[in-house]
Amino acid sequence: MSGYRLPTGGRVDRAKSVSFSFDGQSYTGLAGDNLASALVANGVTLFGRSFKYHRPRGILGMGSEEPNALVTVDRGPGRTTPNLRAPSVPLHSGLVASSQNRFPSLKFDLGAVNDKLGAFFPAGFYNKTFMWPRSAWEKLYEPAIRQMAGLGDSPTSRDPDHYASTYAHCEVLVVGAGPAGIEAALAAAQSGDRVILVDEQEEIGGGALADPAQWAWLTDARAQLLALSNVQLLERTTAIAHLHQNFVVAVQRLTDHVAPAQAQGAREKLWRIRAARVVLAQGAIERPLVFDGNDVPGVMLASAGRSLALRFGVAPGHAVAVMATHDSGWHDALALAKAGVHIVAIIDVRDDVSSDLLDAAGAAGIAVHLNHAVIGVGGRHAVKSVTIAAAGSSAARTLSCDCLLMAGGWTPTVHLWSHAKGSLRWDADWAAYLPDSIDDNVIAVGGGAGAWNYGSGVAVSNLPSPKPVHQQKAFVDFQNDVKARDIRLAVQEGFRSIEHIKRYTTNGMATDQGKTSNINGLQIASEVLSKPVTAVGLTTFRPPYTPQTFGALMGHHKDALFQPLRRTVIDDWAVANGAVFENVAQWRRARYFPQGSETMDQAVARECLAVRERVGMFDASTLGKIEVVGPDAAEFLNRMYTNPWKSLEPGRCRYGLLLREDGFIVDDGVSARLAPDRFHLTTTTGGAARVLGMMEDYLQTEWSDLDVWLTSTTEQYAVIAVQGPLARAVIAPLVAGIDLSHEAFPHMAVREGTICGVPTRLFRVSFTGELGFEVNVAAEHGLAVWQAIHEAGQAHGIVPYGTETMHVLRAEKGYIIVGQDTDGTLTPDDAGLGWAVGKKKPDFVGKRSLARPDIVGAGRKQLVGLLTKDPQVVLEEGAQIVADPAQPVPMTMLGHVTSSYHSATLGRSIALAMLVDGRAKLGETIYVPMPGGTIAAEVTGMVFLDPKGSRLDA
Amino acid sequence: MPDAATPDIAPLAVTAADLHLPTQPFSAAGLHLELVPAQARYSLRARDAGLLAATIGRALPDRIGDTLDGVIKLGPDEWLALLPAGATLPLGEGLPVSVVDVSARAVGFTITGPGAAALIATGCPLDVERMAPGRATRTLFETVEIVLWRQSETAFRVDCWRSFAPWLWAALVAGAQG
Repeated sequence: MSGYRLPTGGRVDRAKSVSFSFDGQSYTGLAGDNLASALVANGVTLFGRSFKYHRPRGILGMGSEEPNALVTVDRGPGRTTPNLRAPSVPLHSGLVASSQNRFPSLKFDLGAVNDKLGAFFPAGFYNKTFMWPRSAWEKLYEPAIRQMAGLGDSPTSRDPDHYASTYAHCEVLVVGAGPAGIEAALAAAQSGDRVILVDEQEEIGGGALADPAQWAWLTDARAQLLALSNVQLLERTTAIAHLHQNFVVAVQRLTDHVAPAQAQGAREKLWRIRAARVVLAQGAIERPLVFDGNDVPGVMLASAGRSLALRFGVAPGHAVAVMATHDSGWHDALALAKAGVHIVAIIDVRDDVSSDLLDAAGAAGIAVHLNHAVIGVGGRHAVKSVTIAAAGSSAARTLSCDCLLMAGGWTPTVHLWSHAKGSLRWDADWAAYLPDSIDDNVIAVGGGAGAWNYGSGVAVSNLPSPKPVHQQKAFVDFQNDVKARDIRLAVQEGFRSIEHIKRYTTNGMATDQGKTSNINGLQIASEVLSKPVTAVGLTTFRPPYTPQTFGALMGHHKDALFQPLRRTVIDDWAVANGAVFENVAQWRRARYFPQGSETMDQAVARECLAVRERVGMFDASTLGKIEVVGPDAAEFLNRMYTNPWKSLEPGRCRYGLLLREDGFIVDDGVSARLAPDRFHLTTTTGGAARVLGMMEDYLQTEWSDLDVWLTSTTEQYAVIAVQGPLARAVIAPLVAGIDLSHEAFPHMAVREGTICGVPTRLFRVSFTGELGFEVNVAAEHGLAVWQAIHEAGQAHGIVPYGTETMHVLRAEKGYIIVGQDTDGTLTPDDAGLGWAVGKKKPDFVGKRSLARPDIVGAGRKQLVGLLTKDPQVVLEEGAQIVADPAQPVPMTMLGHVTSSYHSATLGRSIALAMLVDGRAKLGETIYVPMPGGTIAAEVTGMVFLDPKGSRLDA
Repeated sequence: MPDAATPDIAPLAVTAADLHLPTQPFSAAGLHLELVPAQARYSLRARDAGLLAATIGRALPDRIGDTLDGVIKLGPDEWLALLPAGATLPLGEGLPVSVVDVSARAVGFTITGPGAAALIATGCPLDVERMAPGRATRTLFETVEIVLWRQSETAFRVDCWRSFAPWLWAALVAGAQG
C-alpha cells in the first residue's frame, strides 16, 4: 500500500526512487526522505515496541526529539548502530533497518503481555519487587529484565570505521539553522568575523522546511551562506555539549547518509569549537498531550504531521483528526488541508479560539469541536477512531480517523543554554522555561528564546476525561513508558521534588532526556502537589544533547594511537634480544630477557645470579631526571628534601626523600651535585612529571625569591646501569677522562668524562647492592653505548636484565620502591628511612607533619622483612597479615605484603611488608591466610643480603 | 553472569608498539611532513634577560611567543634555543641563569603545505589559524606537549619529547589522511 504519498508537494525528489528495507521487507522511498517519512509513505504505522510495556508504537515527532521509533541500522559487519531515531536516519539506496525490543516480531511480540499486566508495573516497580533474595538480582532478575526491557543490541564486533576530530575557533558560533539561526549567521558574517553555523538536519532550514512559503528565501539564504568565505556551514552536525567559556562540542556525520559502498573517509568528525560568542537558535519542540491512548501508532505531534505533509509530501493519514490546546495545531491543520490531506476535525479544549482560526477552518470545511477533548483512541497497531467528549461530560462521540495530531504547545529547546549554566525563567504564556541570564557571551534567539509567535494556547496537564487517571494509558514519557498515573503515584508516595519524582518514575531519564516529557511531567506534579510549577523544581539537562557514538568521542585515539607508548632508545635492542616487556606509567620497559624456553622465574634467577656473581646491564633511561640550576639550587633542594643538601660537595651523590606536606613519602631518588649551582636529580619513572610539577609549584608560589630553575632532562639522557663485581672491568676500556678506581671515584659519586667517545655523566651508584655505575649519555648515543658495553662485557659474562630482576635485587637489599612498598601513608620512619631525615634542618616540605601525635605515636604500620617458615613458599603481594589465624572472620588485619620474590642468591623466598608496629615484632611469627591455607612467616629486618654493604665498596 | 557469548573482537591490527619514527617524509593531499635533522637545543632561564643574553652572547626575543634567530621566548623567564647541530652555549656558572643542554630531549618535524594549519588544528586547541608567522609557543597536540613554531603561512615546526615522537608522527599522518 502506497497511498500516503501526496500527489504533489514536499522537498523530496520524485524522479529518484530509493529502495530500502525495514524488518526484512523491501520498500521504496524518494530521495530526500528519511526512514520515517519513507515508511509512513508506505503505510507503515508500527515502528517499535515500548521499553517497559512493549506497547506498539509509531512515530511521535519528526525530529531528534522522537522517543518511539528507535531502529537499528545495519551497514555491514561491525557497522550496526542501534537506537537511531527513524526521523533522523536519512534514506539511501540499500538502507537496511530493523525495529527493536520485540520478540519474535514487531507485530506479534510476546513481551506485550507486560502491557496487559500494566497495573502490576507501577512506578518504582523494580525497586519494590526484585529485592529478595539478593543473590537472585545478578543471576535472574537483572538478566531477565535487561532482555525484556531494552533498547537495541550493542554491536559485538570491532568497528572498522575511523573517526576524525578537530578544534575550531570562531568569533560567532550559531547553533541551529532555522530561520533565526540563518539570519543570525548572515548578520554576524557582515563584520568579516569567522562564523560557524551548525545544524543537525540533512538540510538547513529548521521549521522553514515545513513551510513552502519560506523555501525561496531559504534557497537564497543558503546560497548566501555558501558564498561567504568567512562562514563555515556544518550540516548533519549536532552540537551536543556547551561547556565552559563557550567551548562547544559538535559531531558531524560524514558518511551515514550514503550507501556503505559510497562511503569514503572518516564516518564522523568531532568538532571542538571555541567561540567568542555563541548564538543558540535551537528552536522549540512541540509538546504531546496526555490522554488515554495517546501512544497508539498514528497519534503524533501536529508538527510531525506538518513536516510529513509539507516537507516530505506524505499524508500522515487518510483521515486526520487534530487535538489542540494551542493555535499552532490549527495552523498545521489548515496547512495540511491545503496540501490535500483530509482533516476530519479540530478538537480543542478551549471554548474561546480566535475568530480568524474559526473562519479559516470553516472555509476549509473542517469540523470544529471546541471545549472538547479526546478521551480515547481506537486501534492497537494503528489509529482507527478517536472518542471525544465535551469537558465535564460523559456524552462521548466517536470520530473515524487513521491519524490524530496533538498540538499541546511548545517547549523552547534550552538544553545547550543549560549546559552552559544559563539560568531559566518560567514563562506562563509559553507554559515553559525560557532562557534568562548567563555568564558567558551567549544569546538565545528564535523559538528557543521564546521569540516566536505562533499564536496562543493553554497548558493542560491531563486532558479532561470521565475516566480516572489511574485507569488511563496516558503516557508522559514515551521512551521510558511513564504514565500520568505513575507521576501521581510518586507524589502520593511522598515524593515532592521533581528531581526525586524523575528518578522514582524515570520520567525524562531515557536517551531523549525528556525532550517531549519534562514539562508535561512537571505540570502533572504541580497539579497534584497543588504548587506552582516553579515550586516543584526543574531537572538539569546534561550533555550530550542527543546520543552519540563512542567512535566520535574517541577520534583517532584507538588502536595504535590510543595513547602514546613511550619507549627508550634501547627498546629496539631489547625487542631483538627477546625481552618480555611490562608497562610502567606510559613507558614500556624490558621485564626480563628469557633465553630459549626459560620461564620468567628461571630467567630472573639467572639474571640475578649473573649480577651478584659477575655483571649485568639494565636500561634505566625511564628514570625521571631534572636539572636544577642556579645560585640557590642547594637551598631549594634543602627545602624540598628531608635530608641536608647544602653540604653536599660537587662530584658527590645523595639519596633524596621527598614528602608531601602531610609528611608522607611521595618520591625518592639519587641525585648528584655537578657544580655548586647545578644538580642532576633523579626521580622514580612514574613520578617524574609529578615531582617536577610539585617542585615548580613550590618554586613559583612559595619561594619565588630563589634564583633556581628546573629543567626536565628525562629524555635528554639514556641511562645504562652496569652492576656487579665486574662492572668496573667492563666499562674501564670504554671510559676516558675519569679515574674509575675506588679511591678516586667512591660509591655515591659522579664524574664527567667520555664513554665510547661521547660525553657522559657517570654515576657510581647502586640499586642492587653491588658495585655499580649508571652511564648517562645523550639519548642519541644511548643505543651505541649500550651495544658497546654489551660487547665489552661478553668477556666478563655480562647479561642484560630487566625490571623484574631489578626488583628482586633491590628487595634482597631492602631498598624500597615508592608506590609499591609505600602507599601514600608512610612516613620516612614508617619506611625505615628515619636516617634520611635531617634532624637539625629548620624546615623541609612535610617536616611539621612529622611531629603530629598520630605520626609519632605507636600503632603505625612500618616496613619490615618477612621470611616464610617454608623457604620455598613465595607470599602473594597484597596478601593481608594477621596475628592469629584462628580468630573468627573478620580477622584483625595488621598489614599487607608489599614485595615478594624468590631469591636465587639466597635460595629462598623473601618479602617486604607493611606491619603494625612492625619493628617491635622482629622475630615474631605472623600469619598470611590464603585460599590454599595459612602461611606462617617470621618478621625480620628489611635487609636480607650484605647488611653491612661491603659489596658496594668493591 | 555465566556463559555470556564471547564477543567476536579481532586482535588489534596495529598497536602503539608498532609505531616508529619515520624513515621517509610523508606527502599527501598538499601536505608534507618531514623529520628535522639532529640539532642543538638549549633550555634557557633567567629573571634578567639582559644578563642571560650577555652570558650566551646572543640577542633574545622580548615578547612571549616571539622568535629571534632560532630562539623562542616560551614564558616570562624561559627561552628555548634551536641552534645548528654541535653549537654550544656557555653555562654561566655562578650567575643567576640556567643554561641546560636538551639537544637530545626532543625530536622535530616540519609540516608544510596549504593545509598545515588545519592539520595542526586537528589536535591542537590553540587558534592556529590566527597564529602569525614567526610566532611560537608551547602547547599540546591531543595529550602530547609540543613546541609549535609557525615559520611561514604554510610551514610549521613541531618539537616534542623523543619518546612521544612516534605517536605524534602517526597522529599527524592519521590527521593528514582524514
